[in-house]
Amino acid sequence: MADFDVIVVGSGMSGGWVAKELCERGFKVAVIERGRQITPEKDYTDMVDPWDTPNLDRTSDEDKAKHPVQHTVYAFNQNTKQYWVDDNKNPYEVAEGTKYGWLRGYQTGGRSIMWGRQSYRMSEIDFEANKKDGHGVDWPVRYADIEPWYDKVEYFAGISGSMEGLDILPDGVFQPPHELTCAEVEFKAKVEETFPGRKVIPGRVANLTKPTPEQTALGRGQCQARDLCYRGCSFGAYFNSNVATLPAAKLTGNLTMITDTAVLKVDHDMETGRATGVQTINVETKETKTITARVVFLNASTIGTTMILLNSAHEGAPNGLANSSGQLGKNLMDHVAGAGAAATMPGFEDKYHYGKRPNGFYIPRFRNHTEESSDSVRGYGYQGRIYRESWQSNVGDAGIGPDYKEANSKPGPWSVGIVAFCEILPDERNTVTLHPTRKDEWGMPVPVINQKHRENEVALMKHATRDTKLMLEAAGMIVHHTDNPDDITAENMSAPGRGIHEMGTARMGRDPKTSVLNQWNQSWDVENLFITDGSFMTSGGCQNPSITYMAFSARAADYAAKLMESGEL
Amino acid sequence: MTNSFMSNRRDALKGLLAISAAGALAACKASGEAGDASKPKVLSGGPKLTTAEMALVAALAQTIIPKTETAGAVEAGVPAVIQTLFTEWGDDNYRNYWRAGLNGLEQHFLQAGGQNFAKMVPSQQANLLGKYDAKAYAEAGFDDFYKNMKSTIATAYYMSEPGATEELAYEPVPGEFKGCVPLSDQPKTWAT
Repeated sequence: MADFDVIVVGSGMSGGWVAKELCERGFKVAVIERGRQITPEKDYTDMVDPWDTPNLDRTSDEDKAKHPVQHTVYAFNQNTKQYWVDDNKNPYEVAEGTKYGWLRGYQTGGRSIMWGRQSYRMSEIDFEANKKDGHGVDWPVRYADIEPWYDKVEYFAGISGSMEGLDILPDGVFQPPHELTCAEVEFKAKVEETFPGRKVIPGRVANLTKPTPEQTALGRGQCQARDLCYRGCSFGAYFNSNVATLPAAKLTGNLTMITDTAVLKVDHDMETGRATGVQTINVETKETKTITARVVFLNASTIGTTMILLNSAHEGAPNGLANSSGQLGKNLMDHVAGAGAAATMPGFEDKYHYGKRPNGFYIPRFRNHTEESSDSVRGYGYQGRIYRESWQSNVGDAGIGPDYKEANSKPGPWSVGIVAFCEILPDERNTVTLHPTRKDEWGMPVPVINQKHRENEVALMKHATRDTKLMLEAAGMIVHHTDNPDDITAENMSAPGRGIHEMGTARMGRDPKTSVLNQWNQSWDVENLFITDGSFMTSGGCQNPSITYMAFSARAADYAAKLMESGEL
Repeated sequence: MTNSFMSNRRDALKGLLAISAAGALAACKASGEAGDASKPKVLSGGPKLTTAEMALVAALAQTIIPKTETAGAVEAGVPAVIQTLFTEWGDDNYRNYWRAGLNGLEQHFLQAGGQNFAKMVPSQQANLLGKYDAKAYAEAGFDDFYKNMKSTIATAYYMSEPGATEELAYEPVPGEFKGCVPLSDQPKTWAT
């Protein structure tokens, strides 16, 4: 008799969903989380005022020593640093001549605490892309298979957005969208007029603008427009595991949370071919334990899950568990961000915004969709915002005394922030492997990450950089800076990993010889092993991927539940 | 109802945070003191800004951001923030940079005005610093420390409670976002 019906390794974006769905179906679920339990009273800092933020919110030398990698994240500051891992205790290596930013947090909820909350569906065009242009392998699903699961997870999570009727970016179940600013409305009108194939729409974001009764019942409230989400939200207004999926799972009475516990291996019975459970180590006491279950879900994040399976190798699975295809650890993807600009929009001096929108505008992909190119496949979407400059932009200007004070007290011109997220192709040369000798303090071999930007990513980023400038100019903005597309190289683009969308190392497919998972996120090799974190992604699209992880998690959990109910598993 | 619940919760949370911050500060100090005994002193002026240096910082800060209908830099506690950055956040390089920069300014104003900047009357301070400031922004490389210091002083001011809530507009819980409102509704820039 196993300890649990189901073990879920990891409590983040996807693990929380698996736990909720299976607990609600009546199964006894253990969620094993390597990080600590988040307690809002201790961890949330969303009520800290600027004057109580230490050292003008500057990163200290101590922070840099403890977080040499993590402190470079845009969402790392004096009020969020508690959510990012200690790099010294959680090392990784990169292959010679490569760079990789592995940016992560170990706690209940994982990175769902500090995520950017942008939520965009993948479309039929994305699910067909590999088959059409021959990169990677064909997805074993199409949009119609996933659509009802997107509906389900969006309704529960709460996504704010507008209905647009675009084939490249399907509409969903949305709460009311955030308003665009005056300057963004102007930008939208001019860009859409100049480029008929482009759209500027309100960002789709996992913040509650009109909570449902179900959300209110879980203690979640309406977004208060503070834009402090990265600190944790006392209103429970943005989706994360700690306020949504895990509380729902807990309400069933079927959830056991096991925190501060890392999983080292999945145990595998060669006779039955099934996983029997996991080997764990308490990260504080180093006590090791075997926990057993009928079904194991890996949701340890792409690199974490890959490490566990590679470390589970044994004589019957010499290259790692669930790796008869040899694809485990290959095809590592991300989204590469870039094509930024500095530009201001004249006019609207008598207008301002009220509140702080935790969101911006979005420009869905048009490259190689409504607008072709001869040198690239796939595309990119843009996120951005046009706000008036504030005192931060003015304090470095000339002047002293009452005039300087007066100038700083008035909002400046409408100024754009914009970034393109480009798709990265699945490529077998981009890999995660285990270091042959080096281990972390818990005995887990250190991962060696080997990912490079290649020809297509560079071509896309050059297009994106050109397109940024063209759109700003079309909108009548004064462009102070854009990069020169000719200067862009694979090496000077934002390093792999820095998009914080790592995925693809245990891809789904139609053929067990070339993929790790079948159409149900189920291992071809080990029938009671499922993976629904980002590692299942067969291609990456250019959309922020979390809502897709959620949809596939709910779908795979439903499939596993049916197999367990029928006695097959 | 909701508001009073939230403001109570806010105060409670802030109380907790203040306690934990004080604890962290105490821990920092203890380790700092233990380290000091074994370290050679590389700074002639020591690990804190001296009384004279603080007088100069306060006079510069108050000349850059004087008291008007709202608090000036001194009333907003800016010098103390600078001292904390100097003692607790910065390393020796940072301290040397500030010390040298402040000394340069002191010497300049001694020559230009015949006495310590801090001892001048406000009109003379404004006159001399105004000229210096104009030159610093007109000539690249003239005094980068000064520009850096001014930006730090201003940041400390606008992040202070009087700076954020009185001089600017601060709304910790706006409740909703409106993308386009008349500036006349809110003529001051948002503090955050």
